[in-house]
Amino acid sequence: MSVTREELAAFADGQLDDPRRSEVAAAVAADAALAAEVERHQRLKDKLTAHFAPILTAPVPEHLTAPLGGAAPKVVDFTAVRQRRAARRIPRWSWVVGPALAASLALAVFLPRGEVQEGYANPQLASALDDQLVASQASTAPTHILLSFRSGDGQFCRAFSDHVQSGIACKDATGWQLQASGAPSDTQQGDYRMAGSSAAKIMVEAQEMAGGPALTAEEEQAARAAGWR
Amino acid sequence: MALLPRLRRFAAGLAHDAADGDDLCQSTVMRALEKRELWQPGTRLDSWMYRMMRNMWVDESRARTRRGETFVGEEPGLSVGVSGGQEEAVSLGVIDRGLRTLPDEQREAVLLVMVEGYSYKEAAGIVGCPVGTLNSRLVRGRDALLTWLGDGV
Repeated sequence: MSVTREELAAFADGQLDDPRRSEVAAAVAADAALAAEVERHQRLKDKLTAHFAPILTAPVPEHLTAPLGGAAPKVVDFTAVRQRRAARRIPRWSWVVGPALAASLALAVFLPRGEVQEGYANPQLASALDDQLVASQASTAPTHILLSFRSGDGQFCRAFSDHVQSGIACKDATGWQLQASGAPSDTQQGDYRMAGSSAAKIMVEAQEMAGGPALTAEEEQAARAAGWR
Repeated sequence: MALLPRLRRFAAGLAHDAADGDDLCQSTVMRALEKRELWQPGTRLDSWMYRMMRNMWVDESRARTRRGETFVGEEPGLSVGVSGGQEEAVSLGVIDRGLRTLPDEQREAVLLVMVEGYSYKEAAGIVGCPVGTLNSRLVRGRDALLTWLGDGV
């Protein structure tokens, strides 16, 4: 039986389907030259993987993470970062987000416990969740709504991102319940990556929670008119 | 942003060197943020971003080729006759040079499957070609690499 080079490579990559896979496996087992070839393919793969591995573990330069609104994705103490941020107010962005950031920090840091129900959006976030539409929101709004969808249980949920956290909130009788968010209490040590507005990660979570596609602009408008219920 | 290190890796492979790769990566992130409404929840975010990056690289390469016909870009011009830097020593590693000898279409196939670990079908989806085409590009690319690397592999 002859095995093409394409088939041999696909076999080495584990990409061949049965019954062809078993046939090629038998041919490889019976032919030392073929087996050596498969091994070369695998060694090449190992070599390439090892070659690019340092990039995966290297810290991501700040100019790449900056557009995402997060600091470099390092695991550091969240409180320390928040204090440092509050202290220097991020000069680079301050002309746009300074006031908003200060406001949200004030809410996050100084809001007396008890005014906001545990696990629910604070008033500032809740009002953004209530009012902002993905299609028409101002790009300078302190909170950015990424998308809206209905969860598997039929609740309206919205993925959002602001400068102290990002997450997903779902509307219930009490208010906007935070389902996935980067609250520092979620992690023992304060995993800052969780707290950063890592939009992509939240999108992935939204994808898992959603019972269907994201709401269109019209659906979103209708949902807002009905109070997200 | 858990995807960023992976995107950087792919960008570095596509663009031949880490600095160009990071530029490409940054453009891709900006583009993805601009176009985030177009991403369909329920589809894979990583494939979507890889596809975007790959297409931007194709555009960039074409533009470079056109520019290259009239004058040498600033950076290659500056580095003519200058060498010996630590960074160059790394980037001129045998694997990098081997990858650089490959046509773009073979290099991206090799990177997507052998480094990023996509299935042939997923990789074909990102590149936008039939699976059979991807398979043959991949084989030509890796045969060339094996020849390049010789018995060292």
